[in-house]
Amino acid sequence: MAHPALCNPDLLRRSLICGTRRTSGNTAIDGQPLTSQEEESLAEHLNQCESCRDQLELMAADAEQWTSIRRTLLKESSSGHPRLPAGPSNLSTHSGADDHDLLETGLLKPSDFIVEFLQPSDHADSIGRLGSIEIRQFIGQGAHGVVLKGYQPELNRLVAVKVLAPHLASVVAARKRFAREARATAAIVHPNVMPILAVDSSGPLPFLVMPCVDCESLQDRLDREGGLSLEDLLRISIQVARGLAAAHAQGLVHRDVKPANILLERGVERVMLTDFGLARTVDDATLTRSGLIAGTPHYMSPEQARGDVVDARSDLFSLGSVLYCMVTGRPPFRAETTFGILRRVTDEEPRPLRELRSEMPQWLETIVTRLLRKSSAERFDSADQLASILEDCLAHLQQPATSPLPPGLVPLQARSWTSLLSGSLLAGFALLAMTLVSGVYLISKYAAGPASSDTDTAGQKSASKEPVQTTAKDPEPVAIDDHNKAAIAEDLRLDVEIEAILHETNSEFDALQEAMEADSFDSNSPTSAPELQNP
Amino acid sequence: MSPLETRLSLIVRLQCEQDELAWREFVSQYEKFLQQIVRRQGVPEALVPDAVQQILMAITKSLESWKDDGKEGSFRRWMHTVARHVVVRFMTRERKQTTGAGGSDPLLALQTIESPPDKHLLQQYEHELIVWAAEQVRHDFLSTSWTAFWATTIEHRPVEEVAKDLQVSPGSIYMSRSRIMASIRKKIQEVME
Repeated sequence: MAHPALCNPDLLRRSLICGTRRTSGNTAIDGQPLTSQEEESLAEHLNQCESCRDQLELMAADAEQWTSIRRTLLKESSSGHPRLPAGPSNLSTHSGADDHDLLETGLLKPSDFIVEFLQPSDHADSIGRLGSIEIRQFIGQGAHGVVLKGYQPELNRLVAVKVLAPHLASVVAARKRFAREARATAAIVHPNVMPILAVDSSGPLPFLVMPCVDCESLQDRLDREGGLSLEDLLRISIQVARGLAAAHAQGLVHRDVKPANILLERGVERVMLTDFGLARTVDDATLTRSGLIAGTPHYMSPEQARGDVVDARSDLFSLGSVLYCMVTGRPPFRAETTFGILRRVTDEEPRPLRELRSEMPQWLETIVTRLLRKSSAERFDSADQLASILEDCLAHLQQPATSPLPPGLVPLQARSWTSLLSGSLLAGFALLAMTLVSGVYLISKYAAGPASSDTDTAGQKSASKEPVQTTAKDPEPVAIDDHNKAAIAEDLRLDVEIEAILHETNSEFDALQEAMEADSFDSNSPTSAPELQNP
Repeated sequence: MSPLETRLSLIVRLQCEQDELAWREFVSQYEKFLQQIVRRQGVPEALVPDAVQQILMAITKSLESWKDDGKEGSFRRWMHTVARHVVVRFMTRERKQTTGAGGSDPLLALQTIESPPDKHLLQQYEHELIVWAAEQVRHDFLSTSWTAFWATTIEHRPVEEVAKDLQVSPGSIYMSRSRIMASIRKKIQEVME
């Protein structure tokens, strides 16, 4: 227990003065730096007193400055030629002696590490070769490995190559999982999932090949801009939910949904979920080594934090945390230590969204609160359902007069006439759908996602949705081998084209589809309405 | 005109002793920062001093349009604004010249994408400034302190764990990382205000 009597703000303030070594400083203005005796007793006090720790941090810099400096230095240390040493964290599982040496010498840089596994290249503009891929430059370094920009001469295209980190690559279980999960991911063909074009797990370091896309991560965007606008955050979460739905339909739980794994292309026009299954790989490796949970647990679900078995609804919780972060600029559960965060995730309720951004609508808070329920049974049924609800919300935001909020989110008196309208739109759509079977088939590949067939019961969805449903149920898990990689790649390009065409010409179609999905939610409302009801 | 002469001519204009001092302090600090930013824009080593000088001269030239509004620190603020403006302009130019040359800075390559260039360049400027500030203050601290700061603040490793690794008390980590953070912030402020 800390003794409040020992809390001394002046001591804290003076502890920030650098009186030693080469700093000239403004000692005359700021006062004297601490004596070594004072330093020792303050350190002792800080061991116990959380409130003094907080106060000290705030005296040093405000929260925003801590974040921006941290982000910048983190980014810098993982860039191609960092000016500052990376920290000791990727070495924490190594022996102490190694750590020490590396710390003293300025540590491993990605550029040192890459030399280890690249083959020499004949091309002047390549820094090396990885299989048939000419590596052009570094893109970045994450906890799991390194991302490189490469060029495939025979296909004449740029690719992003993600290489598993060496300390994970030496763990057999991690390698196997990396390869298996990568193949599974390659089977998810969906515009909101970063596609995997090829997998190579034969060399010393396994790697994945992905399209080279001009994008930034949601994390970068949040670091730069803080909380997002309501419209942007809806657009992003709709697409993430769609991507998740596609993964869930393949029996995959992402388990690491977080802003850093959400890529934004051209603003928010296209959002892609990435890093499927790698979280699991990492967990495996670190578990074997140290028994610790890898990474930042800010977006973990309570069941994940407890180490319980997780299902698709765990990803919904994480998406809830991401939504929260998009509103407020920071994750809902924060604490000094990993353990502290995990405890908050499992035991505590986050601060209500609207306390932090009062201009946000009540319905958004209702949705996020429901996603962040501790019990997975109390969240939404599926990512698909969530996506539809969010789409309705977005439509409502853009055209409040003609697009009603999903019934569970709207005050009762506003409901009657709008549901009538969507009903009549729906009748029109049933007709249109029949004449556009091929169109429906195409749209289903990217927009409808996999129908959550286990949760839908007969009659809950309208008849007109059936063409979409049946095609979306279809996909069988596809084993990706060398022969059909090219086919998948072709398919993906096709998807992009289809998407572009549909965006251009079928806005009407979209509107009708939204109306249709509004209806499917409507029919679910008896179960969901009490949960979502405004107070 | 040599940089020295440039500076002298400016100093003549700067009636106020404080402004003159501010300018001299600024140049001595900012020149290092400029060297770094110029290098990182892909300017070959041999041309770095020239480019730095060019930028400094552009800054001095723009400073001539400064009018004292009588407010405290008016010159400092103006100086910092002008400097940022000139550097961002320089970055824009460099970018245009190096596009397509290959082998460019990966950070730049990452950030050139789609969005309005000015905003990105401003971010890039701030990025450079923070990195530079951190580099400057780094040498004021013991390597153990820096390592503890890096591990707990930048990489979010638990303080207890790092304390054990480094064989120091958690309390001393709390203290030294805040101290480092405060120095970085102050350093940035000197150039950013």
